[in-house]
Amino acid sequence: MAKLKMPPPHGGELVNRVIEKKEYAESLAAGAIEFDLKPTLDPNGVPIRHVYREIVSVCYGFFSPVEGSMTQNDLEGVLKERRLENGWVFPYPILLDVSEEDLKSLDVKEGDRLLLKLKGQPFAIMDVEEVYKIDPKDVATRTFGTPENNPEVVRQPFDEKHPGWMIYRCMNPYVIAGKWTIINPPKFREPYDRFWLPPAECRAVIKYVKKWRTCIAHQTRNVPHTGHEMLMKCAAYTGDIEPCHGILVNAIIGAKRKGDYPNEAILEGHEAVNKYGYIKPSRHMVTFTLWDMRYGNPIESLLHGIIRQNMGCTHHMFGRDHAAVGEYYDKYATQILWSEGIPSFGFEAPPNEVEKGLKIIPQNMAEFWYCPVCGEIAYSENCGHVKEKQKFSGSFLRGMVAEGVMPPKVVMRPEVYKAIVKWWKVFGYPFVNNKYLENLNKELEIDLAPMEIPKA
Amino acid sequence: MPHYIGVILDENRLAQIKGTPLEEKIQDLFGGQLKMLVVEVPEDKTEQILKAFDRARIDSRGFIEDLPVAFKRALFEEIAKAKSLDVIDKVLERLPEIQEAAKKESEYIPPPEIE
Repeated sequence: MAKLKMPPPHGGELVNRVIEKKEYAESLAAGAIEFDLKPTLDPNGVPIRHVYREIVSVCYGFFSPVEGSMTQNDLEGVLKERRLENGWVFPYPILLDVSEEDLKSLDVKEGDRLLLKLKGQPFAIMDVEEVYKIDPKDVATRTFGTPENNPEVVRQPFDEKHPGWMIYRCMNPYVIAGKWTIINPPKFREPYDRFWLPPAECRAVIKYVKKWRTCIAHQTRNVPHTGHEMLMKCAAYTGDIEPCHGILVNAIIGAKRKGDYPNEAILEGHEAVNKYGYIKPSRHMVTFTLWDMRYGNPIESLLHGIIRQNMGCTHHMFGRDHAAVGEYYDKYATQILWSEGIPSFGFEAPPNEVEKGLKIIPQNMAEFWYCPVCGEIAYSENCGHVKEKQKFSGSFLRGMVAEGVMPPKVVMRPEVYKAIVKWWKVFGYPFVNNKYLENLNKELEIDLAPMEIPKA
Repeated sequence: MPHYIGVILDENRLAQIKGTPLEEKIQDLFGGQLKMLVVEVPEDKTEQILKAFDRARIDSRGFIEDLPVAFKRALFEEIAKAKSLDVIDKVLERLPEIQEAAKKESEYIPPPEIE
């Protein structure tokens, strides 16, 4: 077997649409039509998505080769076969959606330049390529699939209880398509600033600082229990002539399902794993991507593969029920996609074996549990004590945490628990609730420097 | 099909059931580092609980999880009072009171005092 090396970015080149030079940025925005970016709200008025996160992730190259809000052709390609118009695999619609009222007041058309404002400051510009109408419910349903159209993996129709479906369902009916360019680079707030490593820098750190030839990505939206830790350690035994040199933890940061842990606790919980030596910091690094999680199991796994390939990883670990909520998908939907493909979603073969597909190598993993007979955390494909197994359950752990019981260290490292409690004291609550989401929507993860744009 | 609710026993709760027949029903988890009582919940009562608490769900082990702390506390209180695990009806009689307490929990849960 040949030794592996860092794969190229998805689409061939990393997207970089961030203008650092202030004067140049100001001149680009001069005279542009101003538009204040708004969150997507659920029917109860709770913010469930903010398009600014997608703008950041696009412009810094996490979602390469996507460069902005999708045209109608791109959207149709994504919904039909998870392909952009140029043929590259991409799983989700990325859209700047606006209400009819906003569209009327903007009076925008193809060729116009928009100045997108955030927190009262100029943030990004976009050159309008197209304005079109969508049916948000149709987009939502086609994004995730249906039992009739995608019988290989969809087990029940998506509905209001699915947070990702709701994000698309609650979108505005008009889309402004065009490339985004950030003209006022965001300053990440604490603790996000410590973990901000966009793809170009991440590739450089992996190659020249960490000197990892191979690196396996770990997707997370959770504080780590020891089952996650074992997953990371064991999945990293893959590689080529030796185990992977590095483990890149990449947390998805944004609005989350109520009951998940706060973003801050997730990042610092994972940081505690390397800070306190459970996995050496020379082999383990924590980063994040801004994205309001869609909980789309196999569809989400494609985005995860793209993000982490763009960040420079050679491998990606996928567990059971990857990025899932409820029982909408088969528990092994992601693993089915990456081992044989899902034709109804546009994959006659796994995503890393199709034309213009991904180059990252999947590592499908089964389960970890505590085995009282073995007296250790065991891998389900090794341990024969199936009857005696004690499964890790995230919700069981959340219940323990909520009751104020410190989990035993065989289940959760004490330093990880302390990270939860640290942020619990800040928010008065250990998990995401409406108050957390409203506050997150107000503060966001970033601040923007004041910027004066010359009027036309 | 019955489902289950796990009641975690810390030192305080263990003291309350010391010397009762419940001691024999304590299950060791994770090499004895965690102690738990397991209450069996019939299907119709499971439905009632899931309906009463919108975040409650059944996990991959068949346990009802994401229940409010108020529910878990009431469940242990009834267990300690009756010295039995057959208390789910008693707990469900207290549902309005538990739901009221649970509403406050969605805003604030006091953090533990740890170093």
